[in-house]
Amino acid sequence: MIKIENLNVSIENKEILNGISLAVKPGELHVVMGRNGTGKSTLANILAGKEKYKVTGGSVNFVGKNLLEMSPEDRACAGLFLSFQYPVAIPGVNNMYFLKAAVNAVRKSRGEEEIDAVDFLSMIREKLKIVALDESFIHRPVNDGFSGGEKKRNEILQMIALEPKLSILDETDSGLDIDALKIVAQGVNDYRSPDRSFILITHYQRILNYMQPDFVHVLMNGRIVKSGTMELAKELEEKGYSWIEEEMVEIT
Amino acid sequence: MSISNYKVEFEKMLNRNYFSKSLHPYRKEAFTQLEKTGFPTQKWENWRFTNVSNISDGEFMISEISDAPQTTPDIDSYQMEGVDTVVIYNGHYQKDISSIPNGVNLLSGSEYMERKNGNFDRANNSPFDLLNTAFTDSGMCIVLEKNTLVKSPIRILFISNGDRSIMVNPRVNVDIGESSSLTFIEQHVGDATSFFQNESVFITLGDNAQLNHVRIQSNSEFTQNISNLNINQAADSQYEFFQLVDGSKLGRSDICVQLDGENAQCNINSLTLSKNNQHIDNNIIVNHNSAQTHSSQFVKSILFDTSTGVFNGRAVVHENAQKITAQQTNKNILLSKKAKMNANPQLEIYADDVKCSHGSTTGQIDEEALFYLQSRGINKQDAMELMVVGFANEVLDKIPHPEIKKAVYTEFTAKLNRLMS
Repeated sequence: MIKIENLNVSIENKEILNGISLAVKPGELHVVMGRNGTGKSTLANILAGKEKYKVTGGSVNFVGKNLLEMSPEDRACAGLFLSFQYPVAIPGVNNMYFLKAAVNAVRKSRGEEEIDAVDFLSMIREKLKIVALDESFIHRPVNDGFSGGEKKRNEILQMIALEPKLSILDETDSGLDIDALKIVAQGVNDYRSPDRSFILITHYQRILNYMQPDFVHVLMNGRIVKSGTMELAKELEEKGYSWIEEEMVEIT
Repeated sequence: MSISNYKVEFEKMLNRNYFSKSLHPYRKEAFTQLEKTGFPTQKWENWRFTNVSNISDGEFMISEISDAPQTTPDIDSYQMEGVDTVVIYNGHYQKDISSIPNGVNLLSGSEYMERKNGNFDRANNSPFDLLNTAFTDSGMCIVLEKNTLVKSPIRILFISNGDRSIMVNPRVNVDIGESSSLTFIEQHVGDATSFFQNESVFITLGDNAQLNHVRIQSNSEFTQNISNLNINQAADSQYEFFQLVDGSKLGRSDICVQLDGENAQCNINSLTLSKNNQHIDNNIIVNHNSAQTHSSQFVKSILFDTSTGVFNGRAVVHENAQKITAQQTNKNILLSKKAKMNANPQLEIYADDVKCSHGSTTGQIDEEALFYLQSRGINKQDAMELMVVGFANEVLDKIPHPEIKKAVYTEFTAKLNRLMS
């Protein structure tokens, strides 16, 4: 699905990612954990195509294409989706209008016919149920005046409407109460399938009570320093990150 | 700052026998006063950012019979469903293609003066008010007796065409009686290449009267458009103003509201779309003269190319005007490095129990929001257009009437689309 090799990224000459390698196969759910400021969100943003970063080395192959050469919209059309840590409010732009424009842009790129307003509404009604939002929600401006939980559920709504191959969930669990967390996790679980992959970036093991990851990685100083399974996440929850640092010192 | 060009035209004007002599004393008085004040210069506080030398040095002539259309003008492209239209072409009333809704009385200037026992409404907010009084040539008095609810909107369609440098000074009175309501549209269109319109509008709202006023200024980008709007509101009256400006080389709207009666309310909404070297200036003053009056100003501009804009908004709360609310919001978006906006939101408060707020922001397209839209598969061009339309929608949504909203929205998006592609 995606193969990141020795990726180096800097911003204003400051190195943020320092040789990341990560391969995600179809159907897999990878979790990336780490302290604040270790480069987790940078990784998510660079994969989605944010401009302010500079790639200084390495490569990213996504469904057979050189991802780093593609515009953000082409990445989305190719099946990559980022659930934003801080979804942006766009006053005046109706959520439904936005969703329809997005869905049709992706459909068009796949050579499919644009969906008409009636079909779109019935499709979105079904998806709204999955994220437990009522219909009034899609007639409001995008993320404008939404609560933290509503914003994150709106991200999941967009994911299941756009049907990406790879979803990168950047701290989608942060700031959610337990009910919202369950809804978000359920939305992701329902969407899982053998040909869809996920990279979940999180601080907390909490969301993993509701999801079954295939791999857990620890990001530190812009590199993946340890990989494991669910057991690793549990260990991190108990002991924090310092033992990994100590382990690294012992190795070097 | 030469009035002499206008002096010649003024003499011509006085000799036109089709203008009522009863107005002459007012015309002369106004012109004498104008000769004293002269046209505004950029040394004047309210005109700091607006240069009117094209007008003051211009050689605009009064409209002649030959400037009237030779055949009936085609107004099909300005159709608005369910709206009665009065057509004024280069200052000439087109009776044959005009209609008015039931309940509306359309009076001539002299009939209106008679009705008001010889009183002639005047304002003296700027030299352009004086110029209009001196040169008043066309116009309409729209009168609603009390307890008259007129459902279908009335529009005055001002068409400016041709290559001659002509000046027209329309004067519109809108008089809404107690507990009556109306929707009034003024639409300025045409492809004149050198044209100066100096319009004065006097609006009087009786107790509990309601007026929706929609102003669409979308004539060619070569015209000079000055608009002097005076609104006087009695108790419990409601004034909803919406303006779209996307035409004219120089556009200046002077909007002066007097909230005279308790619980009077006005909402001023304006959207500007400018390109090339257009200069659009909105100068708004709302006077809270009575207690419990309410006002809002919601003014947005979208600027392309080297266009420039001004927002000068003031809310003045007079001494006894307690428990009033006044809001001012001004937002501007610059779509070119060379576009420029001057914003000056002001509050002047002499009462002590009031709720006022004001704010102004000017910026470029929000890069974060742009990336967000792109990350959903929407290409950069479409994403930008979506955001600009979204920016405009917050104002367009204030248009009270669905058919008018549709017409304004269509006009706006067509112009925007041409600019963004």
